[in-house]
Amino acid sequence: MDIEEIKKEAIEKIEKIKENIDLDLFRKEYLGKKGKIRDLFSLIKDLPIEEKKTLGQKINQLSLEIEEIFLLKENSFKKEIKEEIDFSFPAKATELGSLHPITQVRREMENIFQMMGFSVVEGPEIETQWYNFDALNIPEGHPARDALSLGKTFYLKNGNVLRTQTSSAQVRYMQKMKPPIKIIIPGKVYRYETTDASHETNFFQLEGLYIDKNVSVSHLKAILHKFLESFFKRKIEIRLRPSYFPFTEPSVEVDMLCTVCNGKGCAACKKTGWVEILGAGIVHPNVIKNGGIDPKKYKGLAFGLSIDRPTMMKYKINDIRLFHSANLNFLKQF
Amino acid sequence: MIFSYNWLQSFFKEKLPKPDKIAEVLTMHAFENEYIQKKGNDFLLSIDVLPDRAGDCFSHIGIAREISALLNKKATFPKVKSKKVSSIYPVKVEDSNDCLRYTTVVLDNVKIEQSPKWLKDKLSACGVNSINNVVDVTNYIMLETGQPLHAFDYDKVSEGIVVRRAKEKEKIVLLNGKEYILNKDTLVIADNKDILALAGIKGGKKAEITKNTKKIILESANFNHKLISQTARKLNIRTDASIRYEQNIDPNLTEYAINRAIDLINVSVISQNDIYTKKLKPWSIKIDIEEINNTIGIEISKKDIISILSKLGFIVKKDMLIEVPTYRQDVLIPENITEEIGRVYGYDKVPSVLPLFSHPAEINNDIYWQNRIKDIMKELGYSEVFNYSFIGDEEKDSFNLRLQEITNPVSSCYKYLRPTIIPQLIKATKENLKYFERIKIFEIGKVFDKKEYICFSGAVNKGENLKSDLLALLNSLGINNAIFGKDEIKIGKEIIGKVGIRDGITFFEFNFEKIQKNAKDNKEYKIISYHPVAVRDISGLIDDEVKIEDIINKINEFELINSVEVFDIYKGKGVPEGKKSVSMHITLQSQTRTLDPETIDKVITKIKETINWEERK
Repeated sequence: MDIEEIKKEAIEKIEKIKENIDLDLFRKEYLGKKGKIRDLFSLIKDLPIEEKKTLGQKINQLSLEIEEIFLLKENSFKKEIKEEIDFSFPAKATELGSLHPITQVRREMENIFQMMGFSVVEGPEIETQWYNFDALNIPEGHPARDALSLGKTFYLKNGNVLRTQTSSAQVRYMQKMKPPIKIIIPGKVYRYETTDASHETNFFQLEGLYIDKNVSVSHLKAILHKFLESFFKRKIEIRLRPSYFPFTEPSVEVDMLCTVCNGKGCAACKKTGWVEILGAGIVHPNVIKNGGIDPKKYKGLAFGLSIDRPTMMKYKINDIRLFHSANLNFLKQF
Repeated sequence: MIFSYNWLQSFFKEKLPKPDKIAEVLTMHAFENEYIQKKGNDFLLSIDVLPDRAGDCFSHIGIAREISALLNKKATFPKVKSKKVSSIYPVKVEDSNDCLRYTTVVLDNVKIEQSPKWLKDKLSACGVNSINNVVDVTNYIMLETGQPLHAFDYDKVSEGIVVRRAKEKEKIVLLNGKEYILNKDTLVIADNKDILALAGIKGGKKAEITKNTKKIILESANFNHKLISQTARKLNIRTDASIRYEQNIDPNLTEYAINRAIDLINVSVISQNDIYTKKLKPWSIKIDIEEINNTIGIEISKKDIISILSKLGFIVKKDMLIEVPTYRQDVLIPENITEEIGRVYGYDKVPSVLPLFSHPAEINNDIYWQNRIKDIMKELGYSEVFNYSFIGDEEKDSFNLRLQEITNPVSSCYKYLRPTIIPQLIKATKENLKYFERIKIFEIGKVFDKKEYICFSGAVNKGENLKSDLLALLNSLGINNAIFGKDEIKIGKEIIGKVGIRDGITFFEFNFEKIQKNAKDNKEYKIISYHPVAVRDISGLIDDEVKIEDIINKINEFELINSVEVFDIYKGKGVPEGKKSVSMHITLQSQTRTLDPETIDKVITKIKETINWEERK
């Protein structure tokens, strides 16, 4: 077998090769364990030493040359199929849609209460004076009914009001449903306020109402404790202290041990160690009566909390007015 | 209100716990303490007395009574002797419902001068300015007992006191020099000529105490609290006196308070009067211990309940009939007593017990579908915004809206209730364009037309994909039969939403209820075919009045049809009158085999026949 011939043949062959598979076959044919180069070496193994030496060198030379053209071809193949990427180029993040932080927090709250068996209902935002005040034991002439100063109530020309609290839907549902009643009423409420970082004219509340034969402060305490722990996703210490609302008796204010300082006292809790989180109580018998339910047979517990404030606490938002700003620089952060 | 620790201590022989301890006990069992401030050798406690207790606890004696009950320490209050003289000062109360009691004395030989230091110090601790020895004593007694007092200059009062309603447009100049015009809803203290004071609120200029005053008329009265409250709020004058009179003060307190004042002023009484036609007597409430325990959720023994009530000054009679002292006019029903027991016993001792699970929560369809829409909009890259429910004239005029007006708006920009969200979304889009290139926003919220309902609206600054977004939304809500008109979206004959453009901003607004009632949650798996999809583009003429949606629906009914998409509609040059040129992209696929050209052509031919298709010439 002529070495030169093999070389020529190999060059011709490799030029025609267009696919990786053929290139692999070529490698096996010439450079493989049973390839032509090996064959040549085995042919010369019985020749005299001198001849073996010269031929051996030539075969080696051939082997190197074939390997070279093989590698050249292989590289050219690699070059053709090589895909490049460069992640060092600057880019802007894809614009995602976003849900309002109040929506997200409201959903969380609804989910927690639903797991405790509270159904979610909604009430009207334009309310009659009767449902917003009288039904809740706030009679004509009571300061809470004032348009300005203490009452902060928005009145409409026809005498109706914009509800000042979600409690206004309590009696509506008492009239509609039969006990046991276990509902929460989230929604928008309105107050005549001079707006600042912590006061708004439009904001959100969540009202809870549970009416059954045996309902107690003890249940109230457990429900609210469970809710707060689920919401803040940590151990929470709460305390109930006396308060006053016309529509509950007894009335309590629920404080939560300040999560910022753990009760040591800091700016967030005005150095008291406690943060006021909601108002609650046992539904006043007049309110139960106004709902068409017999207060001798049924008792109720009720609570009302702001949705805005826990949202601000959760995300460390420092200005309540951002919620109704429609500012995407704010909203796209959530 | 500000309370002095030393003043409170003065009612107890025993040493009281430290101020912070007192504050904590009050916070947990009565009223919240806001802060404690050290002043000289005293501590000032800012205590948030609850509104229903303003009648008895806007006073150091009131708070001392609470402390006494809560810490079980005996409090003793200054003793007074009644000062009877035979001469009667003329007082006329026109309506005993307006003025429950009018107690008065005339004091002679009064020398108006500066108050002694101890008195000035006590007033200043509680944030009250010193004026003169007489006015200071009236204020001191008010801070001590909760009973407001008022002093008139005897020589300036013409022939006795009349407690009456003001006449329409009657005027008074108050001590602060301001003139007020009154009406018949205002209760006043007058002589036989002029008004001397707004009852329970503020004194007038006419009978003001000056350094020349020699004799004084001291008033210790009890007025109808609703009347005082309404007048104070209406005239927007709130004074230390009015905030006390706005709640029920014990009418039996007037005599004690006036006698305390006489002791302090320490001059002789020359005449007096006490008009008190309907004496308030203690009342009784029957309580049920089991009911109290059930409401609180605890077992408090009868003995403990009796002890708590006794410490609070209630008298426990036979059969748990509870006699309420007249200074506790907030206690009227058994539930009020339950609250007294609960707070004194301590809510911290009430166990935390979850109620037994009864009924699972019911799904609220409104909220469910609102949440679905919000999630899909977010997937489509929209951001949820909230706007006020209020709009102003700017929106009213530029959108020609009919609106409900708010009687007392915070500003003229917010004087109407919005009947649509669109103007606010357009405004918000413009604002946000300062910072973003692409705006896609939406809001679901109440609007107020003839009635209140929920709107789902959105706006985008580049509108070319809005229809695709809305199609994706509706499909995802299971609504496949929506018809898109030029600027409205219908299901059948009902308009469910509208679209439009204003200042280059494209918007849409749906009536949420109409979407909700058509939305479906009935996804069902369709078998996936692995056979190739055949594509045919056809282009031709159809009658102009035929709706594209109808054509698409008809084509979709054919077997083997995978999808139909119209990519061009054209009317005008080259198209005959009454026709339109339509180009469609139709894909066909079989579940069982690869489609051969003959089968495909057959289907296409049939389609063309059915929809009266005319080839373009």
